[in-house]
Amino acid sequence: MEGSEGKIMSQVLSLSNISKSFGKVRALKAVSFDVPEGSVFGILGPNGSGKTTLLSIVLDVLKANNGNFLWFGQPGSPAQRKKIGSLLEGPNFYHYLSAIDNLKVTQSISGRGSKEDIDNVLKKVKLYERRKSRFKTYSLGMKQRLAIAAALLGDPRVLVLDEPTNGLDPVGIAEIRELIIELRKSGHTIIIASHLLDEVERVCTHVAILKTGELLTTGEVNEVLQDEDVVELSAADLQALAEVLRKFSNNVTVNSSAGTVQFSLPKGTARLEDINTFCFNNGVVLKHLLLKKKRLETRFFELTND
Amino acid sequence: MSGLLRTEWLKVKKYPAFWWMIGILAISYPGMNYLLYVNGYKDQLNSKTMGPVLRMLPNPFTFPDVWQTVAFISSIFVFLPSVVVIMFITNEYAYKTHRQNIIDGWSRKNFMMAKMVDLLIVCLFATILYAITAFIIGSVNTTAPGRNVWEGNQFIALFFLQIFSQLSIALLIALLVRKAFLALGMFLFYYFPGEPLLVALGKKYANDAGEFLPLEVSDRLIPFPRWFTRKEEEWKALVEQSDIHILYTFILLAVTWAICFWMNKKRDL
Repeated sequence: MEGSEGKIMSQVLSLSNISKSFGKVRALKAVSFDVPEGSVFGILGPNGSGKTTLLSIVLDVLKANNGNFLWFGQPGSPAQRKKIGSLLEGPNFYHYLSAIDNLKVTQSISGRGSKEDIDNVLKKVKLYERRKSRFKTYSLGMKQRLAIAAALLGDPRVLVLDEPTNGLDPVGIAEIRELIIELRKSGHTIIIASHLLDEVERVCTHVAILKTGELLTTGEVNEVLQDEDVVELSAADLQALAEVLRKFSNNVTVNSSAGTVQFSLPKGTARLEDINTFCFNNGVVLKHLLLKKKRLETRFFELTND
Repeated sequence: MSGLLRTEWLKVKKYPAFWWMIGILAISYPGMNYLLYVNGYKDQLNSKTMGPVLRMLPNPFTFPDVWQTVAFISSIFVFLPSVVVIMFITNEYAYKTHRQNIIDGWSRKNFMMAKMVDLLIVCLFATILYAITAFIIGSVNTTAPGRNVWEGNQFIALFFLQIFSQLSIALLIALLVRKAFLALGMFLFYYFPGEPLLVALGKKYANDAGEFLPLEVSDRLIPFPRWFTRKEEEWKALVEQSDIHILYTFILLAVTWAICFWMNKKRDL
């Protein structure tokens, strides 16, 4: 696959027609997509859309009824999971053990990291001071931080994070966001399931949107967001501008309070120079012209609302 | 295998409930044997009815009979280590760490192998406790000179096999129901009075079909000592059954663990 920067990208994870039912409930319906190496891949969807079910299948916690998946081009295996740092459906630790002792269990199973790494990840998630306290004495946010520390142990190149900011305060959320951006810059691949659209929009390069087990869309964030070209303009006389633009498009809206006019065109057809020239030739001088990017939230609601 | 052992050790070495149970076990095995020796046997020696009969038989707390006597008494209290075994499984479900172990890179087979290792260690510990208890009681009571203290020590292996088989049933129940109290309740109820009742009914109405029930299969590896009963015929029949029950126990063990591995492999976690 050719990446956006022209480099060849291989697939870290490939899903092919994954289906899963719980009794009569079809939790996933033939979901297929690829996660490119080096991407921050957001899996979005409302509650019950199948995000956690999907991640549980690729981590061998649940068995798919149909379909298959490949990690690094190979069928899923314990050896591959050892190379992946994962946080699935909240923190799962031994309540009677401390943070350090819990991470020793993680280390013993996965083979990731060293004793120094345990200290380092605890410092990174700001749990070092409470490293010897038992897990059951932690607040929800601290438990979540420990789960993130476990996923980061040994600096795995691939991370799977299911709702990583659950239970965190605003400062904690911002810290995790910065951490993800930092990891992305250093070439890590991160698969992140979330319903916090703002967070996903800020950190993700790619996205897949699920609804009631169905994949609605997937691709690079910019591609998914821009299903059409939305052009925003402003001029001294908004009504005159709108009148001129109606010759250009039937879909013109005036936002008087913001002092702008918007219209949409089929994706990839908006040429700002042509629009500027057209307006000028029709006696309107523009003071603002922008090809507007749709917010993920807007696009998400468009896709998930019936 | 050493990796599994190391991980399991990390899980339990700082678990207070585990060490409490091990401590209780360590005290109980010698304690209950001593209690039965004093109250169950020595007191009976002075009984007007049983005393003369018992004096005609060899002292069951001397070598070589002590190996069987202590094995039998200890085997009655298998519910004590069953608490530890059930805890090993249900804790993982309660904390959802069974999922995390898989996510972190264990195969489902690894998980079950680790639990088997746990179980073997508990059985080994109980067997060592039994052997030490039997050896000490036998040494204290045996006064005849030149007695071979190891005669009859096949009961060490039989005790291990029995406890491994019965605790495997406890583990299977824990794996099936996943909830600690429910698993413990079910196992204890089946242990007593469930299965003894079925065995008794089997003896009365079904040509002793109860001998193939899960706990009874290995119960018959260690027949009760001679002084427990006046019925010579019943005792002889039980002793004769013991050998074939070694085979039955191995078959039961294979089936039990096959179900455990299969269930853990197939089901959603």
